[in-house]
Amino acid sequence: MKYGGIDIGSRTIELVILESGKIIKKNQTNTGYDPVRAASKLLDGQHYDCMMATGYGREIFQLAYGSQTVTEIKAYARGVKELYPYAQTILDIGGQDSKAISLLQNGKINKFEMNDRCAAGTGKFLEVMANALEFPIEQFGEEALKTSKDLKINSMCTVFAESEVTSLIAKGHNRYEIARGLHASVVRRSVSMLKRISISGEIIFAGGVANNACIRHLLGDALNQDINVPDEPQFVGAFGAALLAGD
Amino acid sequence: MNDNLIKLMNDGFDGEPSKRVLNYVKTKMEKNHPVVGVYCGYAPIEMIQSMGIVPTVLCAFSNIPIESAETVLPANLCPLIKSSYGFIIEGTCPFYSMSQAVIAETTCDGKKKMFELIADIKPTFVMDLPQMPDELSAKNNWKNMILNLKEFLERSFGSKTSDKKIERFLQSANQKNQLMEKIFTFAALKPSVISWQEMYDVAFIALPSTGEEIIPTLTRLIEKLESRVKEGFSFGSQDSPRVLVTGCPIGGDATKIFNIIETSGGVVVAPDSCTGMKTFMGRFEENTGDPIGALANRYLQIPCACMTPNNKRLDNLSNMIDQFQPDVVIDFVLQACHAYNVESYKVGQYVSEKHGLPFLKVESDYSDGDTGQLKTRIQALFESI
Repeated sequence: MKYGGIDIGSRTIELVILESGKIIKKNQTNTGYDPVRAASKLLDGQHYDCMMATGYGREIFQLAYGSQTVTEIKAYARGVKELYPYAQTILDIGGQDSKAISLLQNGKINKFEMNDRCAAGTGKFLEVMANALEFPIEQFGEEALKTSKDLKINSMCTVFAESEVTSLIAKGHNRYEIARGLHASVVRRSVSMLKRISISGEIIFAGGVANNACIRHLLGDALNQDINVPDEPQFVGAFGAALLAGD
Repeated sequence: MNDNLIKLMNDGFDGEPSKRVLNYVKTKMEKNHPVVGVYCGYAPIEMIQSMGIVPTVLCAFSNIPIESAETVLPANLCPLIKSSYGFIIEGTCPFYSMSQAVIAETTCDGKKKMFELIADIKPTFVMDLPQMPDELSAKNNWKNMILNLKEFLERSFGSKTSDKKIERFLQSANQKNQLMEKIFTFAALKPSVISWQEMYDVAFIALPSTGEEIIPTLTRLIEKLESRVKEGFSFGSQDSPRVLVTGCPIGGDATKIFNIIETSGGVVVAPDSCTGMKTFMGRFEENTGDPIGALANRYLQIPCACMTPNNKRLDNLSNMIDQFQPDVVIDFVLQACHAYNVESYKVGQYVSEKHGLPFLKVESDYSDGDTGQLKTRIQALFESI
């Protein structure tokens, strides 16, 4: 049996296909304005027996494909538990959502926190800021780590923070310091979310933003502990969904 | 769910509780009863009714008038206050149009200051609500406020009342509230045989009605619900997550939260807010010789988050959890309602530690921009059962 998991996020869609518990296919594409079309392109030519959809586009996908659905929260919990059986605390930062999840010993969700409807503290926030500072988003984290000076950015809101960045630029601040300050503001928000669900054990950091070296570094500093990041952390949701399809 | 379910009230207004109330108020007006608008569950309606005056809850639950309201009020204010004010300046609340005066309870700072802005449009009587209900002075202060309201209504409408009359209304309200509680017990059954929409249908009309007016209807509804039980009708199945929704008042556009709970497969078995069960809980002490004092006592028992300390809310939640056996508790907080928002932390701790139930706080307004996020949270909550 081949089990598929598709994670239709606000920015990207990930597909994972499992056979006998092994990943035999892994693909990613941009979501764009038509998530079902983007998903169908991703699925073109793929074979699977059962599909589980997750992510904000799960319901529109379900209408088109008649698949089962599960929330990102459960999909991430399942994916992380498979990769780190001892995991109790998960941070997932995606394109427009961030979530902190605490797990019970048996892998069930104990508590979770999610960001409000705005993009504060998410991948979208970093993308807008990288753009404002003319850094490529893929290197934003590495570039921000080139300085060790913490410049405090007060605004959490993407729109307000962009204005704040503009005024910092106008005051002649170094763009690397601004970049690091922006990363620190995302981390502050994530830490308070993690503290609300209360941290136990090691932290598993997943979702696309876990690829960002500066966020990983500052998060480890702020919590004074090692942060575990799975390989290709953006696929954890789709992986978890595929596992749930097989469960 | 049963498609052939006979509507509970079956009076042509099912699912439209406000229209039913509008029809009631109009009928009373035609019989020359004065109408006064009220804003919340602390208004001593039994005394108002004893003067032959009809109390009516004013519009506060639509997103539409908020845009107009924001030309005057700050955007980051509670949507209930903005909506209330918007309705008034737009002239779109029929209940306000019919009201000859407004009774305004100071349940929060936002409302209190908003009342100042509407005070010159219609005679407005502001009731200063004591917010430390366990203090000895609170009962006396609230009793005095009710006495002042009585004088205001006598002066404005030339209506009279007496202790004897108030006692009569208070006693029939006790019967009304007892029957309402009985109706709610049908949601305590597993599965529930009454929907949240039906509870709203009944609660909205029961609130402004006098005991004597509504008791025959409530008795009939109980018979109907009993026959539903016999016939095996139910809402949801044995496995549908049962939800207790606590927090801010929920009506109109805010009922999106109930709809999301239902489309996610859950059943609202206990809507615990001032628009749901809260206003019917508790009894007035009878034959005390001081019916206004009895009113004051009972009204101060309402566990609104504006009260401090508000341990009664936790005690009431425990009783509701024991009775309605929810699988999860959702605390619905209207944006910028600081009292409910801050109190939510305590409520969450209490629900998870004392009752071991999954708890979710949602902060929202009347717009539908956050439907996706709310759905994800509520579905994830159900997945965690």
